Amino acid sequence: MESWEILLQQVINGLSLGAMYALLALGFTMVYGIIELINFAHFNIFMVGSFIAMWLMQLMGFTGQTHILYGLPLIGLLVLVLCMTMLGTGVLGALIERYALRALRGVSGTAPMITTIGLSYILFNVILLTTGADTKNYSNPMPNIRWEFGDAVLRLREVMLWGLSIVLMIGLHYFVRRTKMGKAMQATAQDQEAARMVGVDVDRVVIITFFIGSALAGAAGVIFGLYYNYTSFIIGYTAGLRAFTAAVLGGIGNIPGAMLGGVLIGLIESLGGQYLAVRWTDVIIFSILVLVLVFRPTGLLGRAAPTKS
Amino acid sequence: MTETQLRPSETAAPPAMGRGASFLPAIWDRATGIAGRRGFIIAFLVIGAVLPLLDRNEGDIDAGANALSYAILALGLNIVVGFAGLLDLGYAAFFAIGAYAYGIFSSYQVQPEWWGFWEPFQWLGLVQHIAVPGGPGTVHFTVSFWLMLPISAIITAFFGVMFGAPTLRLKGDYLAIVTLGFGEIVPIVARNVPYLTNGAAGLNGVASPTFFGYSFGVQSMPFYYLGLALAAFLIFVSLRLKNSRIGRAWLAIREDEIAAEAMGVNRVKLKLLAFGIGAGFAGTTGTFYVAKLQTAAPEMFTFPVSVMLIVMIVLGGMGSVAGVVLGALILQLLQSVLLQDLTQWIHAFGNLTGIEFFQQLDLVQSIELIFGIILVVMMRFRRQGLIPERAAVTALTHAQQTAVPSRIGVKGGLVPLHRRTLDPKKPLLEIRGLSKSFGGIKAVRDFNLDVMPGSIVGIIGPNGSGKTTFFNLITGLTQPDGGKVLLMGEDVTGLLPHVIVERGIARTFQNLRLFANMTLLENVLVGTHSRTTTGAIGAVLRTPRVRREEIAANERVMDTLRIFGNRLMPRVQHLARTLSYANRRRLEIARALVSEPVLLLLDEPTAGMNPTETLELTDQIRHLRDRGVTVLMIEHKLAVVNQIADKVIVLDHGEKIAEGTPKEVHSNKEVLRAYLGRSTDAVAEAAAAS
Amino acid sequence: MPISDAPQTQSQRRPPLLEFNDVNTYYGELHVLKGVNYRVGDGEIVCLLGGNASGKSTTMKTILGIVRPKSGVVTYVGKTINNLATADRVKRGIAPVPEARRLFPRMTVLENLEMGAFTRTDTTEIESDKERVFSLFPRIKERLTQLAGTLSGGEQQMVAMGRALMARPKLLCMDEPSMGLSPAFVEQVFDIIQAINKQGTSIFMVEQNANMALSIADYGYVLQTGEVVLHGSAKNLRDNEMVQQAYLGEMKAQ
Repeated sequence: MESWEILLQQVINGLSLGAMYALLALGFTMVYGIIELINFAHFNIFMVGSFIAMWLMQLMGFTGQTHILYGLPLIGLLVLVLCMTMLGTGVLGALIERYALRALRGVSGTAPMITTIGLSYILFNVILLTTGADTKNYSNPMPNIRWEFGDAVLRLREVMLWGLSIVLMIGLHYFVRRTKMGKAMQATAQDQEAARMVGVDVDRVVIITFFIGSALAGAAGVIFGLYYNYTSFIIGYTAGLRAFTAAVLGGIGNIPGAMLGGVLIGLIESLGGQYLAVRWTDVIIFSILVLVLVFRPTGLLGRAAPTKS
Repeated sequence: MTETQLRPSETAAPPAMGRGASFLPAIWDRATGIAGRRGFIIAFLVIGAVLPLLDRNEGDIDAGANALSYAILALGLNIVVGFAGLLDLGYAAFFAIGAYAYGIFSSYQVQPEWWGFWEPFQWLGLVQHIAVPGGPGTVHFTVSFWLMLPISAIITAFFGVMFGAPTLRLKGDYLAIVTLGFGEIVPIVARNVPYLTNGAAGLNGVASPTFFGYSFGVQSMPFYYLGLALAAFLIFVSLRLKNSRIGRAWLAIREDEIAAEAMGVNRVKLKLLAFGIGAGFAGTTGTFYVAKLQTAAPEMFTFPVSVMLIVMIVLGGMGSVAGVVLGALILQLLQSVLLQDLTQWIHAFGNLTGIEFFQQLDLVQSIELIFGIILVVMMRFRRQGLIPERAAVTALTHAQQTAVPSRIGVKGGLVPLHRRTLDPKKPLLEIRGLSKSFGGIKAVRDFNLDVMPGSIVGIIGPNGSGKTTFFNLITGLTQPDGGKVLLMGEDVTGLLPHVIVERGIARTFQNLRLFANMTLLENVLVGTHSRTTTGAIGAVLRTPRVRREEIAANERVMDTLRIFGNRLMPRVQHLARTLSYANRRRLEIARALVSEPVLLLLDEPTAGMNPTETLELTDQIRHLRDRGVTVLMIEHKLAVVNQIADKVIVLDHGEKIAEGTPKEVHSNKEVLRAYLGRSTDAVAEAAAAS
Repeated sequence: MPISDAPQTQSQRRPPLLEFNDVNTYYGELHVLKGVNYRVGDGEIVCLLGGNASGKSTTMKTILGIVRPKSGVVTYVGKTINNLATADRVKRGIAPVPEARRLFPRMTVLENLEMGAFTRTDTTEIESDKERVFSLFPRIKERLTQLAGTLSGGEQQMVAMGRALMARPKLLCMDEPSMGLSPAFVEQVFDIIQAINKQGTSIFMVEQNANMALSIADYGYVLQTGEVVLHGSAKNLRDNEMVQQAYLGEMKAQ
């Protein structure tokens, strides 16, 4: 492989990972933007999402990577699985907000964060205890269509994952900027009490924010499975930490920042893995987190316009 | 801002102790009073000491020693999470560093080539020379376990400070995530530097400690007692720290960082101290743990360990030493005894009924699930933990509550309120061209003022005219856009708030920033922070000097509280959040006064007070002036200003529109206009007529 | 302790829009409002006077449902609203102009105004209310695309009032409308308050500028350490010696 081919290949890989991290980072950043809480449960909502999608496909008779679909049936299946997964994780996130976190809203100190750690742990262990510790072979109906640029390979699945992420992010952008609920979210993020005073139902805004953030984490979980062809109870921890770094890198609370940060972290992971060493990836990403916090705690895009796109 | 904005810590306060909603919690809270806690800790240590004599099963003692390591870790983490309120999710990483430090310095893992450099170390007994035929030989590290206990603490404290420092200036959430990341990478590093750690296979052949020639070997008993001794030591250190200048500053930071800083606490330094001490204890424990197991592998130090420690603290009670011991005890019993027994019973039940689910169920496997549930349930229903940090306080008797306010000891024969000599001819405070804007609003513009020592200067002006911003600029809570603040001729512009307190300016807050969940006494003692020097080591050793300082601080606090007669004195052991409005104001003044200020800034001291209380306080402020404290006060009640101010400044729109004696100011037309609005002329005419 | 008030007794006032009956409010263990009674008649301007920390802002928060009373009843248009959420109160026509304005700093002036109509769905009516706001505050119209956080204090006050009017309220609750404003602006603001009132909106106003407030109000209450110590028609309050001493005429007493 020529060096440019290696670079191109790693950029392709990085963008795919980046798309996933961006979707995951959005959930962190939206919740943080509204109620200033780091939601550790988000890590494992993502993991649960990848399992829900796998179960759905298994229910429909797709196991492993042997049942290949093309054209409309493929798109139909993916859209169906994606929607149901997003609905599932979205509801999970909303339930968590309603029954575990709402009572602690406005409590200062470490209590809300500790609660989300406990929730994350519960999700993690429920999946571990019910499905076992082994790595699961993911159901994946995507055909192995590929384009070659020299030795670099672009696969159909990568193109589809990018397309999916772009559609979701445009959708989110439209939702936040154009809809009434989006406006209410912006208002709540800027001044919760003032939002309440103009008649915004803040409780509803918060639960919907959790729903959307968790739904996006579910989508990221589907991407994980389709990209790597496996899933495991353990995937939430590493991916979640990287996605959180992405959110901080972009400027926590800032929606476009999360997207940018996600893509950057994806590229850093793939390029760093190529040119340095895979085993140091997390150390590199962690160093970035610390450096950003030291030199630019507001992130690349800053907090100036947290919910603006 | 015109009215109290309650601090989050107050609105979020856990339900009042000793006032359980139901009967059982009430009994429990009474049982866990101060005496109950002391009894529990002593019982824990005594039973711990005799247990191995009763149960000589090697396996049990070994489990006990392991359990003690986690209890020690939980106590160390409690200093960080419980005392200082910093959520550290990577505590196991510090544990790992301490473990590997001893592992490397007492095994054959690292064997550099021998040369002259090593000779002095050989002489000190830290290394041995292993001769290799045909070469210079290699070095074998043989650093003593006992030496490594403190060295590990220093190494890990260093790491703690290095990784804590970048985040401690930021919101607490960032520390959580950085420590989580740190906890993640330390095992990765351990796995990936096999030269030092033997990688994933784990470090082997760690030397067993020897004690005056007696080798611990693989027996559990010596480790058990050493662990118990370490636990006792940590309990002692925790209790000593908690009831010291350092511990109070930590609690204050946890309650309200800004107020703590404005009372003279260097919050970055104190947070780092907590973080470093916590990390250091983890390092020591790591050394202990690896010496016992004689091996160290990356898997021993991952995230679940940190979570388990947090569960112990949350279950027992954050910041409560007895609580953490109880939490650790419960979790260890749960893991090693209860769940196994319970599982057996459930299996028996399953066999009896033939239900497969119960035959298969294994509770030991689901311990982490139980951890998660404990965290969520405790945070939701009993945030203060099983043994709350605060023991219940008995309420005031009816007689105490209704006692006639007396004002004893206001005059004469008392310690001076500060120790500086001032030149009565030179201005104490000089403000030159001070300015500040927020967005499109100019809060303070080109402000000039001289305050002479021994005077009372009143600042009046409508709400929103920039008075509080002006105070924030002087005390360093807000950085000015331009201009200078000189105190006794020295430039103090833009210094950090705690430095400004040291220089001699103290303040109160209009919207009251007391440490709601600390007692009155503790609140005021925090105020003495800048005039006392006890450090962490001093607090633990409680040397005669520290003891004298503590007594002096307490005396000063009592002297100061006495200014308010019996308003505050009977309540010194009560939590600040139980106080009435007027008493909160008094307490804020007392807290500011004990920092020995030459200049006291009072932000609406009489707001929320009734006329009688206002009159009383006016009198007291005058006496403060007579005792040498210069007072700059924002006040809305003109009667107060008229009575005691030597000079009045009128602010409007961030600008000084008038300055002079109360009388001069009141005849100023612009002032009337600012205060009275459009019918000024009518009022002014009326004034002229009367 | 009501002052004797012959020309305008309680019964002669307009039918009530908002009433407080023996309302007690707490923050944690702090008793803030101690059995207060207020009444805002339909179409009236009622002002609440009192020093800082006397319970004025808590009164506002109680009206809006941000703080719930521990005991006592808050009635609005004849119905108890104690347990009604803030959003629902806004929907029913209670609109606040909060203390220190509380605009959405990173939204434009136009977006802020539109947020004011958040609970409404009648698009054409909203447009006509926008025009009404522009006619009351011509200056706002020049600044529509500017971020609210960059406005001057006076402009922010106008946007805040405009935003509240966009809810088409029956009752406008104003928390210190004169705060931080220059005297010229204060007069303008009070003129506009009167104009709004003439257009049919009742006004409940917390104000430190007692003289200005009483000059446009119908009725007033004086709050001290959480208790109503005095109430009466605005005129009588202005003539009352205690009010004069505490809030109006003290300067002339020198």
